[in-house]
Amino acid sequence: MTLKWLKIISAESPMPKSIAERANLIDFADAHHVLGQMAVAWAGKAKGKMKDVLENGLLRTEFDHRMLQFEMDRLERSLEGTGVQPVLLKGAAYVACGTKAGEGRRVSDIDVLVCENELAKVEECLINTGWAFDLGVDNDYDLYYYRKYMHELPPLRHNKRRTIIDVHHSLLPRTSRMKIRTDLMLKASISIEGRALRVLQPIDMFIHSAVHSFADGSFDTPARSILELHYLLQHLNVSEINKLIPRAEEVGGIKATATALWALSTLYQDETAASLFRQYGLKPVSSLVRYALTQKINNVESATFAKFLLFTRSHFLRMPLHLLLLHLGRKFMRRALKLIKKADPQES
Amino acid sequence: MLTKLSTYHHTELSEALLKGTVEMTLGCFSMRIKATDPTLLDFLYDAYRDVPTNLELSDVTDISLKVHAPNILRRYIRRQVIADPGFIVPAAPLPPRLSPLALEMGLNLSVALKCCRFTTFHSAVVAKEKGAILISAHSGGGKSTLASALMNDGYRLFSDEFGLMDMSDASLWAHPRPVSLKGQSIDIVKEFTGAEWITKTLTGTPKGDIAYRRVRPSDIEESSTPAFAKLILFPTFIEGASPHARELAKAESLMKLIPSSTNYHLLGEAAFKGLLKLVKGARAYEIVYGSTEDSMQMVRDLASGAGL
Repeated sequence: MTLKWLKIISAESPMPKSIAERANLIDFADAHHVLGQMAVAWAGKAKGKMKDVLENGLLRTEFDHRMLQFEMDRLERSLEGTGVQPVLLKGAAYVACGTKAGEGRRVSDIDVLVCENELAKVEECLINTGWAFDLGVDNDYDLYYYRKYMHELPPLRHNKRRTIIDVHHSLLPRTSRMKIRTDLMLKASISIEGRALRVLQPIDMFIHSAVHSFADGSFDTPARSILELHYLLQHLNVSEINKLIPRAEEVGGIKATATALWALSTLYQDETAASLFRQYGLKPVSSLVRYALTQKINNVESATFAKFLLFTRSHFLRMPLHLLLLHLGRKFMRRALKLIKKADPQES
Repeated sequence: MLTKLSTYHHTELSEALLKGTVEMTLGCFSMRIKATDPTLLDFLYDAYRDVPTNLELSDVTDISLKVHAPNILRRYIRRQVIADPGFIVPAAPLPPRLSPLALEMGLNLSVALKCCRFTTFHSAVVAKEKGAILISAHSGGGKSTLASALMNDGYRLFSDEFGLMDMSDASLWAHPRPVSLKGQSIDIVKEFTGAEWITKTLTGTPKGDIAYRRVRPSDIEESSTPAFAKLILFPTFIEGASPHARELAKAESLMKLIPSSTNYHLLGEAAFKGLLKLVKGARAYEIVYGSTEDSMQMVRDLASGAGL
């Protein structure tokens, strides 16, 4: 049902005839945070209430983008004099370098990547300029857990503006089954004109987006991910397209890239993706995972089994079983202790 | 096209509610409602009877609201309902008999947080041909009572909950949903409008007793005509206080309106420029009053002073 909506959201297919379907489509686009992207794609073409609703979506993303510009300024100011130039990732990067994937895109947290040996310096600077570890993780175990196993510092929230910045030193968790050559991608990153900030080169942007969607997490924003991959692929020129697969192999993101190209060609009928997929005879993830991915995007409401499968898979990918069990055990104990404390009147 | 809700038969309305194709249009916003509970059906007949309604969608809508059980269990056992406007609402589930409250809250949140084509102020707005009065107050500050009294004084209702400002010219737009009355104000308003305009009272809600004053057909007929604010009021009700008004400087009223907006910070510069036009075009007063009669006399004087 929802699969064919993706091309309507990007205005590559016409609006549905049925008003009821249009209404459901808008609810879907709003809930999946792509209403602003739909507004950009349909600019000047939508009429009546559709125009009004899309305008609402666009105004919301314009706020996000202003916030992002402001935060980029503050981030530069915070790191001034250190020589560190963080690489913006995902939404922040697409918006900052003005690529199609950033137009009308919602941005909430800002993700940046730095070299691991710059991490301590960046943390110090940010903390000196008003960021602090978010309350949810401000306890010894969570802070330790992030530093020991994760690919990023615990989320930092600014104490006045409440915005969140995630500082990564790697594109995947340390414990992840898949190893990504973050160093190579950092090395090939390019600076944003007029800024002390960088972005990944266009092919690495696509590879990272693929890794993020299919080798990490549980495909939680399917509509947004597919559109993002489509726009990023569309943005590549011929010579970049020819380098995509060799590069994916070089940095260790071939499985995720193959899966992304499979998803684009079967779920979005993207011609470029389909021909790349055929040309290189690529192997995506197993058919069971492909089934779950399709279900998750096509039956958003009811795909319980698919969701469970992808959720389990995301944990399996993130860390070895013994570590996962230890981690969940600690979290469970902590929650249990909290409950006991609550129940005991003498404690409070 | 303009069929009043009351002309539909119970069965057809209830079927459309279940399907989620009930479309109501009030001024600048259209709403699409989906609900499973029969209490809501009775409430719609009671509070929204004169509202233009379709049982098939004629277009997409500004607002899309579902009122349903928070989970499968609560659909059958110790039933509960929540409002689902398409984003997460920080509100406790309510028993089904209070589903009207969930509906109203869901609609209010949708206007406040989703409809950002307008700068939205938490205030009541009423208007005559010459211009509008915007009444900005906290919940319980007397907005609804004052707006109701002004309706009886020949003003048409724009909204008792939202001032909706077009940012290009600072015109105010109408979205006349039923006026919500809490506690003592139910009887006060009943006295001057007559009981036939007030819905059944919902008792024992988290906010005490609540009833709604139905919107008049005349308010609805003219609801697509905007108006410019001539008078801005910041009322405070203090039991037994003698009535008193203080005129505010433009900057002062601007600074008082900003925190009452639900989306000013989201809209940024455009909202600021619109707001400048709004305060420039209107006189603004802080008023203190101890009874509705006192406040009405004072508001009449201020309105005529502002050219209304």
